This record gives sequence, structure tokens and C-alpha cells, in this order.
Amino acid sequence: MADEDETKEYRWESGYEKTWEAIKEDDDGLLESNVADLVARAKRKRAALKDTGAIQLGMMRHLFVVVDASACMFLQDLKPTRFLCVLKLLEVFVHEFFDLNPISQLGILTTKMKRSEQITVLAGNQKKHIEALQQLKDLSCEGEPSLQNSLERAMNGLKNMPAYSSREILVLFGSLTTCDPGDIQKTIKSLKDNNIRVSIIGLAAEVRICQEIAKKTGGTYNVLIDDHHLKELILNQVQPPAVAGSMEASLVKMGFPGGSPIVNDGTSDSSADHAPAYCLCHIESETSSLMGPNGYNCPQCGSRYCELPVECKQCGLTLVSAPHLARSYHHLFPIKPFIERAQVRETTHCFACAKLFVEAETNVYECENCNQIVCLDCDLFIRETLHTCPGCASDPVTAQMKTN
Amino acid sequence: MKLNVDGLLVYFPYDYIYPEQFSYMLELKRALDAKGHCLLEMPSGTGKTTTLLSLIVAYMKAHPLDLTKLVYCSRTVPEIEKVMEELRKLMNYYEKEMGMEQNILGLALSSRKNLCIHPSVSKEREGKVVDGRCYSLTASFVRARHAADDAVPICEFYEGFDAHGKEFPLPPGVYNLDDLKEYGQMKRWCPYFLARHTITHANIVVYSYHYLLDPKIAEVVSKEISKTSVVVFDEAHNIDNVCIDSMSVKITKRLLDKCSNSITILETTISNMKENDSKRLEKEYKRLVEGLRDATIARETDMALVNPVLPSEILEEAVPGTIRTAEHFVAFLKRVVEYIKTRLRVQHVVQESPAGFLRDIHTKVCIDRKPLRFSAERLASLIRTLEISDLTDFSPLVTVSHFATLVSTYTKGFTIIIEPFEDRAPTVSNPILYFSCLDSSIAIKPVFNRFQTVVITSGTLSPLDMYPKILDFHPVIMTSFTMTLARPCILPMIVSKGNDQVAMSSRYETREDTAVIRNYGNLLVEVAAAVPDGIVCFFTSYLYLETIVSSWYDQGIIDQLQRHKLLFIETQDAAETSLALINYIKACDNGRGAVLLSVARGKVSEGIDFDHHLGRAVLMFGIPYVYTQSRILRARLEYLRDQFQIKENDFLTFDAMRHAAQCLGRCMRGKTDYGIMILADKRFSRADKRSKLPKWIQEHLKDTNCNLSTEECVQICKRWLRQMAQPFSREDQLGISLLTLEQLQSEEMQKKIQQRAQGV
Repeated sequence: MADEDETKEYRWESGYEKTWEAIKEDDDGLLESNVADLVARAKRKRAALKDTGAIQLGMMRHLFVVVDASACMFLQDLKPTRFLCVLKLLEVFVHEFFDLNPISQLGILTTKMKRSEQITVLAGNQKKHIEALQQLKDLSCEGEPSLQNSLERAMNGLKNMPAYSSREILVLFGSLTTCDPGDIQKTIKSLKDNNIRVSIIGLAAEVRICQEIAKKTGGTYNVLIDDHHLKELILNQVQPPAVAGSMEASLVKMGFPGGSPIVNDGTSDSSADHAPAYCLCHIESETSSLMGPNGYNCPQCGSRYCELPVECKQCGLTLVSAPHLARSYHHLFPIKPFIERAQVRETTHCFACAKLFVEAETNVYECENCNQIVCLDCDLFIRETLHTCPGCASDPVTAQMKTN
Repeated sequence: MKLNVDGLLVYFPYDYIYPEQFSYMLELKRALDAKGHCLLEMPSGTGKTTTLLSLIVAYMKAHPLDLTKLVYCSRTVPEIEKVMEELRKLMNYYEKEMGMEQNILGLALSSRKNLCIHPSVSKEREGKVVDGRCYSLTASFVRARHAADDAVPICEFYEGFDAHGKEFPLPPGVYNLDDLKEYGQMKRWCPYFLARHTITHANIVVYSYHYLLDPKIAEVVSKEISKTSVVVFDEAHNIDNVCIDSMSVKITKRLLDKCSNSITILETTISNMKENDSKRLEKEYKRLVEGLRDATIARETDMALVNPVLPSEILEEAVPGTIRTAEHFVAFLKRVVEYIKTRLRVQHVVQESPAGFLRDIHTKVCIDRKPLRFSAERLASLIRTLEISDLTDFSPLVTVSHFATLVSTYTKGFTIIIEPFEDRAPTVSNPILYFSCLDSSIAIKPVFNRFQTVVITSGTLSPLDMYPKILDFHPVIMTSFTMTLARPCILPMIVSKGNDQVAMSSRYETREDTAVIRNYGNLLVEVAAAVPDGIVCFFTSYLYLETIVSSWYDQGIIDQLQRHKLLFIETQDAAETSLALINYIKACDNGRGAVLLSVARGKVSEGIDFDHHLGRAVLMFGIPYVYTQSRILRARLEYLRDQFQIKENDFLTFDAMRHAAQCLGRCMRGKTDYGIMILADKRFSRADKRSKLPKWIQEHLKDTNCNLSTEECVQICKRWLRQMAQPFSREDQLGISLLTLEQLQSEEMQKKIQQRAQGV
């Protein structure tokens, strides 16, 4: 922790945090029920955000993340500094993003000194982005940000993306001011014309122009309360958004590189497939090394890649594996939210985790389809991670129906 | 929705109602029942106008004999338009609910400048010029001349109105200024005279304060309004100053020079007329012998010259012989003007009572009190007789004649101050004679006496008990309402010291102190770094603003500030200020953020709303005491002390705090809005200042926020801004600060409202 002390201010130098103000005593002078209530409410609120319904989702996302790197990002209201906190959370975000949206692409921009800089180009390789984010930590934050410049830059990158993909910009904006070269209204208009959705997360207070940008382009605008809330806000962006207006539906050509290295059926071309070759992702870097027989070959041009998903550098084909597509699939058929109801006598334990219901937890959750009852934690786990109801899955009848 | 307010069926044109609106209606109804005056304070942005209108209209419908007319006085033309919009909404709702046309006529009245549709006259920009040109086209003698000679131009719209308009009353409905113009265009009638004619039988009249308070205008416009009317003064926190201004006269040297010119013109015209048409002058003489009353049976178009309030018995008398003939009167005027000129030739400040002035004028130039009293009337009569159609040149002379009449009519409540130079520039000779009204109750007294109910209302009237004293009336209801809020959307704070613990104050002794100025600067810089979009700052005076800004330049604070936001400054030049305002709004709109430095009591502090992002924070640097060295003010304070037993300090604090509250209220224009209010002066936290803030601000001013340092203040701001930025929807307000009909009728809510009504 020695290195952290250098950047972090002393506790007594930071702002007053009146943590006790959030807690109020109940009628008996006890805090317990109140705290439990508070926690439950917060959790539920998050879950409720994710609506269901048969909407078209932009599954193939092209997202630019704009990180404010102006002087105000050195403020220490998020620990250790705003900038470091945001970078750290972004790492988590990038990871989650590719986990849930494997066939999407992401790029990173920063803005400082009234200019905008590109850190990574749009690409589907999460390692690269995370590396870039880690390197950013040494960047000095100075000057004022420019919303217009960074939006224009992101727009230039997104403009030429295919029409069936969802184009998005996520801005993490710490400053309360923007220093722009021209009329930002024009930028907003062309963003709108290009169907680019801009979501903004403010780190300090509500800024009117951000509100306006988000509203006009169909994105969201939120301001954090503390770092936990920030994490929540950032991770809310992981879910693919509903398509605004009419997005062109079309068939997308994709490559499924075959040839898992273990399988060797002895055909003549397989030896060529697994001949040692340079991985195309790393060919430009100094440390590139000859790959063994492992890797994925583009079915169209035969280039070798060490990781999927990736866009083939040679022929531009999107290379994915079947599980990736399957993972995106659940976005299309999210499970219906469970019904919140008062505890029932008959069921004494949670169907999913078999935990006994205690007095403190007043509410339980019931699946509409299979009428099984689960506890709050399981409800959230099912919704956020599992994406399938254990009750329905274990019931042969409903499980059958779902596959049909 | 339809409400039951204490047994009265009120149609309210919205689906939701704020609880305080309902309480307001209850109180207002009580005042109407009691046929007494009332004083109501309710924060801006809580729908005062619509509440007032819907209750009073409902009352008029229920008791058509007790209450016949509503006179709604507002300050500016945009405000008048807003009232008309609300009224239109209300009437549409009535029509929808009752399924038939309503027999109610609502009407807005403004000056000729805003209502004229004459193709060339309406192009003029200045109100006085429009009035003058209108007069030259519509005066009775001009029209008489036109009858004889077609070449004399007249206004076809006025002719149209005169020929037909008087017989056909305006059909019921709601007419704002544009509607009147449109109607006038359609019928080819003059909208201005149509509106003035219609006032007598309209149910609802909306116009500016001056039509009722300025005796010169009220005499003509509002004389025939019946006693069973209710008069509403909206935004009335400055009503005493309006009263005083309407009775005060200021005479400068330039004005007197212009008077001399006008007198020469009068002389030549008279001698010309004597040669050509001496009969007319004789006729006038005879008329004057018979008494003025007959002479002033107003041909309404000749309204440009009317007398200030005169007890009517004077008007019954005959004009004194000394000024009856035209030449004598002109010579008399000349003497008066010359006398005032000699009085202005002083080296030191003179202050005297009207009585002293009268004595002096008698001994020096042998002018009695009586002819002076008649001078305004006599001048009006003369100008009519001479058929001078261009009145703009005579306005200086009219001012002097008004002064002469006023000074000889009122011996109490006025003072005369002659200053040879301004305090700021003691070397430049610029003599000014102030005839200053000290008693605000003089101008408003006729209003209180004549009408059965007068409602004085505003967002900031605290402390309420001061107004009955200075306006000299007895209200039956005096209530201050707070704002029920679903979230704490105002954050008032008193910052008393900087980070270095030096106390901040605009006290005279410390205001030049660099430490204080630096601390003020640091406060602004830190707030500018933490608050998004627009910030408005108020200083106590232009002078103080200038000194502070120049020392901020030296201290480098301006540079620091400009790193966060652009800087705009209000100046005394109206055009410059409006340009600054436009750019301020632009900077706020496109996200650059801006700081506006302005002055309490200036244009910005009175008329301009900074809603939502235009005013996220208001800073009040120092307590906006009025310039206490002013002799006029000191005379007024003395008078208040002697006549109304109001301590000087009490009045000064009252005046300062109402202006401070007015400035603070700029940033809060509705329940979805939110804003920070920072009072940067140590003295604000004292009980006598704090308790004079409006209740709705006091309610949110916690004890813990009363003695903050800059840093503490900024921390609180940051946290609060984040809270406020969280999504806020109508559903969050429902049931707390916004009620449906069912919620309003629920027993619990009724109880709460009852409690609130009793609590105050």
C-alpha cells in the first residue's frame, strides 16, 4: 500500500462523509430492519431496471468509450483519484462487455487539453484494451476536455460501420465544462443522423449539455453518487440497448474457424492448417513469436489467429465461435422478472439455494412460469448471471416448451 | 379538476394541484368573504397566478353581486402575457366542463406603444413619441380641423372606433395584447381605445401597476372601476418604491433649459392666436372662471396632460385670477422656472420641507400657494386651447407644473433636496432638485379606500408585518406559504469565513480589505469548479462590483475563474447588459458554463429568471443595503421613524433582506428546478437577518449550514448536486408535493392543510 499513499490524500483531508445520515432508526430504535430494507431496495432497483419485452436489440455493438482526462480527473472524491477509479472500473467493464457481447467491438478515446486522443481503435480484442487502460494510468490529466472534439472523432470511427450494428458512444465525463471549437448542436444533429447513441456518465453534477446530448441521441445520462453507484452505472451499459427506430435487418457473413488443435482427422489440408505460423494479431509487435499448431484459421483466407472473436485482418471476415453466439443469445430471450410477494407459509426455503427463509427477509420472488419461489439473492443471481430459471429448466415440461 | 374550497366550487384547470395552492385558495377566499385586504407570500414557481385566477373567477361566478371585477396588476408586458395565458387555460377548462360559452370578458391593457396598429405610428420605438403622435392624430381639435379640411391627417382606426366601437361591446372571451390588435385590425378599430373603453365593463382586467398607482394615469384609466372589485398586485415586493416613484419629481438643469424653450413657444403661439382668433382665448378665460371641473370633463383623447392627485374640492373651485389669462399664466410659469433655476445655483446641499419652499417662493418672487396648486390644470387647459398637437416638446414643462402642484398640495410626507453635484464627482457641477415622496401610503391610499379587496402577493414579502406599516393599511389576512417539496431542491447556506478563517463581510470597515476580497474570490472560484452550467453572483452595488473585479484581476482570481467558466458582467448600460445576458445563456446552453456578475437592485435581480441550468447557484456577496448616505433615503428613514415608529435599522434590514431574497429567488422557478443559494456575509447568520428571509428559504436553512467556511460549503454543494442529479419524475412528487383530486380529498391531507393554515 506504500505506493498508494503517495497519490491518496489523508482521510482527514478528504470530504466529510456523513455515512450515518443515511441510516435512520425504526420505531423500536433499531437499525437492523432498516439496513436490510435499504439493501434489498437497492438490489431490487437495479434488477427492475432491466426490462423485458420483445424488442429488437442491437446485438452487434460498436462502442467508443470516451474517458475524460482533464484536470478535474485528479480530484480525489473517488478514491484514489477519479481517473484511476474510472480506469479500474473500465477494466471490469471491458471484461464484462466482451463476455456478454462477444461479437461486438470497442474503442477507447481520451479527451484533454481541448483535444481528443485515440487510445485504441475499434477492435474486438479485450486484452489489448485492458492493456491500453493499464498504460493510461500514468497519463497526466490536464486542461479542459472537449466534448465536441471527442464526439466528432468517435463519430468518424463509427460512421462507416455497417448499418445492422448498433453504434454507441459512452462518455465518462468528470468535468463540468467543455471547451469546443464550434457549435455542438451541429455535432448532436449529425450524431442523430448517423444513428449514434451517446450515453454519458457524469462524475460530478448534472450538466445541461450532456443531458441534451443523451436525450437527443437516445442514450442515457446519469450522475454518480459514489464509487459503488458508478460501478453500477458503468455496468448498466453492458446490456445491449434496444434498437431505436428501424435498424436494417440483414444477414451477416461470419466465419467459424474450425480445427480445434486436438482434433486431427488426418486429412491432407489439416497439416497445412496446423503448420506453425505467425499469429496475425501479434505480428506487428516486437514480441511476436511463432505459434505452434494452436490457433484458429480464417475459413476464407486461412490467416491464423490466437484468439476469437476477431475480425480477420486479411479479408475482413468476422471470426467467431459458436459458444460466442450462444452467449449473446440470451439477450434476445431474457427471463421474465420474478414477481415480488410476501412470504408464503408453505415454502420455507429457497428453491434455488435451499436456504431457509428468515424473518428479516420479508419478500420472496416467484417465477411466473414454474411458480417456484426463490430468495432475493438467487433472484438477482438468476437475472444477472444465470439467465435461466432453475425451476423451469428442471421441469421437463417447461424446459421442453422453451426449446420449442 | 373541481375543488371544494370551503364550500365554493372552484374549477382548477390542471389535473394535479400543489398542497400550498389549496391553502392559498383557502386564505384568499377568507379575505374575499371578509371584504378586506390581504397579504400573501408564496414562493415563485408554485403557480400563484393560476391559483389566484381560478379562485377569483369561481368566486365571481358564485357571488356575481358581491364581486364584479378583477383587476390584476403585474409589472411587465411579458408577465401580463403570462397571466392572460393562464386565464385562457382556465376559461377553456370552464367551457369544456360546463359545455357552453362563458360570459366572462378578460382583457389586457398596455401602453399605446404595445397596442398601436396605425401603419406609421406603430413603427416608432419610444413610448413617448408614440403617445405624442397618437395625440396629434386623435385630439378632439385635430379631428374638428379635419372635418373642415381633409388635408389634416387623422387616425382611421380611432375614427372607426369612435364611429362604431362604442356601441358594440367586445364579445366575451380572453384577449391578450395580440388578440386585441388582431381584433382591431379586423374591425378597423383602434385596439388601445377599444381596450380602454372596455375596461369599464370587462370582468377581468390585466395591466401594469402604473395604471392604478400613478395618480396621473389612474385618474384617466381606472377612475370608473367599481368599488366591488378585487385588485391584485402580483410581484408586489417593491410596491412601496413604485408608489414613491410615482409621486416623486426630479428636476435637472437641462430640463429647466428645455422649459424655457417651451415657454417661448407658448408665448409666440399666444400672440399669434391673439391676432387671429382672440375669441378662443376669451372663451377659455370664461370657462376658467366657472371652474375647472367643467373644463376637465375629459375628452378622453386629451389624456396626455392630467393633474396629479388633487383633493377634488380644489377642482370645484375657480382658477385664481392671477393665472386666468394666458399671458399671465405664461409669465407666471416663467417666474416659477426662473425661481427654480436660481435655487439650483447653490454650492452646498439644501434640504427643506414643502412649506419652507412655499414660503421662500412667496418672499422671493411673490408667488402664492394657490396659483401654484392650479398650475398643472391650467397648463393642460392652455395647451388644449392653443391646439398644440405635438406634445413631446412640452413634457419638461409638464413635469415642472406637476412639481408646482404637488409641492403646494402636500405639506406632509414630502421633502425637497437640492444637490449641487453628485457625491461621486464633487467637482462636476450637476445641480438636481429632488422632490421626493417619503410616504408610500399616499399613492396607494385611494386604492385601499376604493376597492373592497386588495391582494398583495409575491414570492418574497417577508417580513410580512412591515408592509401594512409602510403602506398604512389593515389586512385581514397575512400569510406566508412554504413550498412542499419531494426533495430538498434548494440549498441555502451562509458562508461566513474563507479557508483562512478570515470573516467575510461587506461591512463598510472591511470591504476594502484585500483578505476579504480574496476570500470572496476564492469562494467564487471554488464554487465555479463544483457547480455546473450557470452561476449568478450579486454584489451590493455597481461601485463595489467594480472595485472587487479590479482587485480580482490583480490577485489572479479572474484567470482562475476563466479556467472553469466564462465571465459576464452586468453594467448600467441596458444594451450592454442584454448582450451579456444573451451570451451568458449561450454559454450555459452549450456546456461551457458561465458566471454572471450582477448587482442587487439592478435589472438582472428584478426581472430575469434563471431557471434550471441558467442558475444552478446564486451567490450573494454581502448584504445589499441601500446606499445609506443618500439624502433622500435618510429623509425617508426619518419620516418613517417619526410617522410610523419604524426604527431606521429595521427598515434598512428589511429592505436589504427583501432584495437579497429577491436575488436568491432568481434561481428557483419551479418544483423540478433546483439551485444553490449562498449568502456570503457573516452578518446573514444573525437572527435579525435570518428571520427576515422568506419562510420557504428559512425552512431549508439548517443551523448547521449557517456558519460555513468556503471549503465546507463546496463539499456540501458537491454532495447535494449529485443527489439532485439523480432521476426525478412526476411519480416521485405525487402524493407529497403534487396531489390528485383523490389525494387532496383524503382525510390525512386535509388535516395537514388545516394544520398548515393554522400554523401561520
